[in-house]
Amino acid sequence: MYYLNELKQSHDVKFSLKFKILLFNSVEYLVFFPVVFIIYWLLKDRYKRQNMLLLISSYIFYGWWDYRFLSLIIFSSFLDYFVGLKIEVAQGKKNKQRWLMVSLISNLGLLGIFKYYNFFASSFANSMSTIGWDVNDLTLNIILPVGISFYTFQTLSYSIDIYRGRINATKNMVAFFTFLSLFPQLVAGPIERASNLIPQIERKRMLNNALIKNGVFQIIIGLFRKVAIADNLGVYVDSVYANYDLHNGSTLLIATLFYAFQIYFDFSGYSDIAIGSAKLLGFNFHRNFNFPYFSRTLTEFWRRWHITLSFWLRDYLYISLGGNRRGIAMTYRNLLLTMLIGGLWHGSSWNFVIWGGIHGLFLSIEKFTFSKFNIKTFNAFGYIYTFVVVLIAWIFFRAPDLTAAFTIFSKIVSFDFGVLFIGNINSFVNAICLLSLGIIIDLKIFRSDIPLENYGVQYNTLKLSVLVSIIIIILCLFYSTTENFIYFQF
Amino acid sequence: MALIVVISYVLDKIVFYTFNKISDKVMTGQAIGKLNHFLSKKDSVDFMVFGNSRANRHIDVRVLNSNSFNMGMDGVGIAYNSALIGTLKNTHKQIVVVHIDTKNFFDKDYDGSDITSLKTKYKRNASITKALEESGQLSVFQKFYRSINYNGNTIGILKNVVRPSYNFRTYYGYDPITINESQTFMRDQVLLRENSTEDCENDYKINAVALKYLETIAAFAHRTPNKTFIFITSPLYHDSCDIDNIKLASLMDSLDLTYWDYTNLYKDTKNKSYWKDATHMTKNGAEAFSNYLNVQFKANHSF
Repeated sequence: MYYLNELKQSHDVKFSLKFKILLFNSVEYLVFFPVVFIIYWLLKDRYKRQNMLLLISSYIFYGWWDYRFLSLIIFSSFLDYFVGLKIEVAQGKKNKQRWLMVSLISNLGLLGIFKYYNFFASSFANSMSTIGWDVNDLTLNIILPVGISFYTFQTLSYSIDIYRGRINATKNMVAFFTFLSLFPQLVAGPIERASNLIPQIERKRMLNNALIKNGVFQIIIGLFRKVAIADNLGVYVDSVYANYDLHNGSTLLIATLFYAFQIYFDFSGYSDIAIGSAKLLGFNFHRNFNFPYFSRTLTEFWRRWHITLSFWLRDYLYISLGGNRRGIAMTYRNLLLTMLIGGLWHGSSWNFVIWGGIHGLFLSIEKFTFSKFNIKTFNAFGYIYTFVVVLIAWIFFRAPDLTAAFTIFSKIVSFDFGVLFIGNINSFVNAICLLSLGIIIDLKIFRSDIPLENYGVQYNTLKLSVLVSIIIIILCLFYSTTENFIYFQF
Repeated sequence: MALIVVISYVLDKIVFYTFNKISDKVMTGQAIGKLNHFLSKKDSVDFMVFGNSRANRHIDVRVLNSNSFNMGMDGVGIAYNSALIGTLKNTHKQIVVVHIDTKNFFDKDYDGSDITSLKTKYKRNASITKALEESGQLSVFQKFYRSINYNGNTIGILKNVVRPSYNFRTYYGYDPITINESQTFMRDQVLLRENSTEDCENDYKINAVALKYLETIAAFAHRTPNKTFIFITSPLYHDSCDIDNIKLASLMDSLDLTYWDYTNLYKDTKNKSYWKDATHMTKNGAEAFSNYLNVQFKANHSF
């Protein structure tokens, strides 16, 4: 019952942000949010002042991590505010296109420099060295701004939607800046569309009993998912993946299984707290997770997993590439390309590209199978098939590098099974018990056909308070001290 | 919101007092049993070992003294040990061995948070409560929600209530490691990694938090003449740098503490059967080391 985690303390840099972020599960947020909440509702008859308050508090929220990078969000906000207005008033498709290109090049340029420059520079140097040409180290010492992938996609959708004529550009600068930086969704989504959020910002918000109940319930469920389930699973996952070469197939399989649930509960927990917090401020965000592991096909999985991203990729990438309008071969190409880029969106590493590639490949196979046999979904066996494909892809997502991913994959599929490494028996048993509880809660909500977003309102105040109190006590007994949300690295 | 605060407060107190009742009877397991066992025996044994998992697995205290207890615990450091040593009464003559690890004293990230492993005794043991409050490591919620005392230990406690891990009446705290065939393979891989010759760091600075706790133990040692304190570092499979060892030895000297550094005792032996990994010895290694330690104790006339 001891110590392999003491063996190698060097966690992957990839999975541990070294900066202090105002986390949803921190004491700071527990002070920050109520203060904002109280002042916000004291201003309830003056929604423009509420917006100003939200903007300032969102910048404080982001600046808590590193105030210097506020300049990037402010730059993007200014740029797309003016570009949006220019696209709207521009005459003719070409002129509109020019302004859209300004937005695309600037935003993707910033994302490219901060997120992908080093990746492509080192990949270029490596590929040159394989043909015998030694290139000097071209990489730069660049910090990845937290949330840049999320707010870049959000602002791009705004410009593209105006270009497509789906929305009008807003003239309210504060509303637009607030849309881009609203703190509950700033650093890890949900990736909100302007068509949903800006109209809410530009009108008076109301706080009613339903919003409070739903918001509080979703926040507490999110906290439970994150700090009780995901963080406890993470203890085992981190210790095994840090020493993957020492472990046998059974240990690596269990660690990967744990990881599948860790990342789900971590990210869906984050989204729950974000959506719940937004509800308490009178906003309705889009749903981001809908029990993805209860999917019979990979296509269904992507309608349930990180919904705001997968719909963004569908609407702004897959459809822009031609979607399924240019023949069967192009459809598969577009699908694969969308998933590869979707993979790369997660991080500048070949692991993420392969992760996206696996999903793209199986989505294409599914599409082919469905059209060939004229079916719309698989039978119950599909649950297992979907989970296995997702599990294989997670290996590449979690492994520190490609060599590690292939080693882990080969150990698992070669059935190199042996005695299971348990590590700290206490934390292992905690992880299993909490995971079981999490799955039971998910099953109950899934079977009820009521979305988690609307679940709290069905309870009366007393019953909801008791339920929330029970979860608070469970959190007290089982919270783990791992700090960061996995998706902050993206 | 107020209703949630009231209900959760009441619920918390029910859970807290229930666990207090249950856990007081638990004498086995690392969740709370070993701590309870220690607190019940600490002022009656003649020889005691404090330290981390290396202390726990490397020192067979019965080889050294028949009335002894090994209080080594996984994942703890000098803060935890300092708090436990503070609970000892000066009414009984004792030899107190404190196992320390050189690297921990020069770890710039060490913050003393290992002391929170004692949170099960917060507001239940005066000396430990004082140490915890002074450490500043307690969760701000702990003053309101007392069930946090049992955070992470709930299932371990319940398991040991239903089915104790061992017979605590014959247990004296030492947990030797035996390894199976697959662990042997793992061990060989780990030891292979350890043959590199790493350069020493340029600047070895004693961690201020670790130093504070060491000074607390030193002050305790100096005001309790009934007790003899010896600080020990047990062997490592491979230690490529001795600058930190020399610095720590010099610090211990300046604090007037007896320090026996055995980091490199088996440096040249490289007997793999002694090792589980690069930092933990097997039962074989632990037996050899305990016997060696016994000889050292006997050779020193003051013991």
